[in-house]
Amino acid sequence: MRRREVLTAGLGAVAFAAPAIRRANAQTLKPLVIGGSVPLTGAAAETGLNVNNGYVTAATYINEVLGGVEIAGDKYKIELKLFDDASDPARATTLLQRQIDEGTNFFLGSFGSNIVLPTAAITERAKKPMVQTGGGSDAIFTRGYKYVFGMYPRATRQFTSGAALFKSLQPTPATYSLIYNNDAFSKTAAEGVKISCDGQGFKRLDQFELPAKVTDVSSVLASVRAKTPDMLICVVHDQDSLLIARQMVATNTNVKLLFQGLGPQLGSYREALGKYAEAILCSNYWNEDVPYKDKFFGNSKKFAEYYRTKYTRPIAYHVAGAAACIETYIMAMQAAKSLKPEAVREALAAADFETFYARIKFSPEGDGDPIALGSMIGQVQKGKLETVFPDAAKSAPPIYPAPTWDKKGA
Amino acid sequence: MDLIAQTLADGLVLGGIYALAAVGFSLIFGVLHVINLSHGILVLLGAYLALIFSEALHIDPLLCIPAVMAVLFCIGYAYQRFLIQHAVDRASVNSMLLTFGVALMLQNVMIWLFSPDMKNITPSYAFNSFKIGPVNFDAVRVSALIASLVLLSLLAAFLRYSAMGRVIRATAQQTMAARLCGVNVRHVYALTFAVSAAFAGAAGIVIGIILPFSPNDEGTWTLNAFVVVVLGGVGSPAGALIGGLLLGLVSTLTAQYIGPAFPNVTMFLLLVLLLLVRPHGLLGNAFAPSR
Repeated sequence: MRRREVLTAGLGAVAFAAPAIRRANAQTLKPLVIGGSVPLTGAAAETGLNVNNGYVTAATYINEVLGGVEIAGDKYKIELKLFDDASDPARATTLLQRQIDEGTNFFLGSFGSNIVLPTAAITERAKKPMVQTGGGSDAIFTRGYKYVFGMYPRATRQFTSGAALFKSLQPTPATYSLIYNNDAFSKTAAEGVKISCDGQGFKRLDQFELPAKVTDVSSVLASVRAKTPDMLICVVHDQDSLLIARQMVATNTNVKLLFQGLGPQLGSYREALGKYAEAILCSNYWNEDVPYKDKFFGNSKKFAEYYRTKYTRPIAYHVAGAAACIETYIMAMQAAKSLKPEAVREALAAADFETFYARIKFSPEGDGDPIALGSMIGQVQKGKLETVFPDAAKSAPPIYPAPTWDKKGA
Repeated sequence: MDLIAQTLADGLVLGGIYALAAVGFSLIFGVLHVINLSHGILVLLGAYLALIFSEALHIDPLLCIPAVMAVLFCIGYAYQRFLIQHAVDRASVNSMLLTFGVALMLQNVMIWLFSPDMKNITPSYAFNSFKIGPVNFDAVRVSALIASLVLLSLLAAFLRYSAMGRVIRATAQQTMAARLCGVNVRHVYALTFAVSAAFAGAAGIVIGIILPFSPNDEGTWTLNAFVVVVLGGVGSPAGALIGGLLLGLVSTLTAQYIGPAFPNVTMFLLLVLLLLVRPHGLLGNAFAPSR
């Protein structure tokens, strides 16, 4: 089953580049080439596969179900040219430069700020737009780039909604400690947590910087137990989130609120923790119940249904975000009535339209608008990820304070 | 005081696990003089096999150790006999390139087979803990430590008392003399690699029950093994144990008293110091005295 998923995803990207696979009516359609790289292997492969699947799902649907798209009076078939960058920034930049040399005008992003940043520098220099769902680091959006657009707010603006939720809880928590990895994304995300939480008046007791590869957090948890903050906020990678949660249970390290930026969104995380996952909070940029509509898939439920006809891999918000990148490109091209990179760039900068994923609106620097494209907050409740914030998208009230590990295990 | 005791206990538990993860690497380096850069892959293979066996048979993952070791033993034997030996025959440095290439290739095969997603082995006692005085012990880590110590003792006994262990030591100490005595050195090398692979697989199980894992983690376990061997010395379970415990203690003490971001800094600082002061590790090369 797994083999098929990975194989399908890998071949999917290649298949789009293969002219042999065409529908009969596609013969009359002009190709709309969108290039890029995605990490199908290496450190970022887990989420990279989701991003790739999102791109391929949207392109397949538009080509095969909708019969292509009309832009400025002509009908186009999307032709993705995506290559595996093996989670390696150097390889990704080489791949993108080659595509630019070959005449590709539009690009989708890889996954991970460490890859998106150098590749965005190349597309910027060539004045080719890049729409991406994999890079949130502030460095991408504070260098004056005009041609890169992100589906998330920059990292330091991503925790606004989290802090707002914490402030609304009763009794209001007073203190927090922060755990993050020593890498570009985590460190900037941690800065965002500090800005938002300190801004809301929460007192920071400690901050712990973990190495990029973590094998043990017992010493960190000993320090957490010594001060016992009301909230423990972890902006670490999903593997580390699971490790932290497991060691918290085993060492009976209790806090009233555990927030883990990445991890609880994944079924494998919730399955591994079982009943101990109850009441853990996380960021969530999309779920199947969001109320947005568009002219392509209709809504999120229909998108998810179509995705499941193509993949057995569980759907995640990165899949939806990636599909929305393609929709965003098409709507911008239709608004610009042109396929000139400069004109499409102007349309992207002025974007304010709805997709099944969210309302698409970018800040002047190109990152997602913090309100329109900001994070929702999810919480594991009875094994399911419920949306607890904002009120407009809420599917359940938040559980606070969280039960102690003993009570969860009983 | 409680915090120091807790930190030391955590360090010793972690160190025991590092030791098991490194002992196979140490043995191969000591006997075959091969730096096995695919060691981490063998560790991960053990973890994935344990996941498959324990889910299929609904048994505790630690009970899968014999089956996983048997599979890894066979793979290790074939790997050395039919691939590495040929590379070594041409030039000794080839073995490094070969094992590095195999590691890259197998990492991608693992992604293809198991997906790049993180996996986790969750035994029934995964969330249990107990206290001795003020010190809190994580049951799963203690189980992993006990399994490590038992396996290291068995390996030490095998090398010390069994006929095959004596042959392995003899071959490592005086290859030519062993050959003159009728020892099939190629077979012994393959057997040594097989035993090492089996222990790497067992380490994978132990690691799998305490940490989430994915194919991308292989480099971490190769690097850790390398550091443990340099610290403790080459070729013996005792050296691996000393190196592993030292690494575990340094990691947790640094994380607690300097900062959780710094264990790698102190680990490599210690590595450099030891290379300058005692280049053969704390216990030296187990097979060196009679060379």
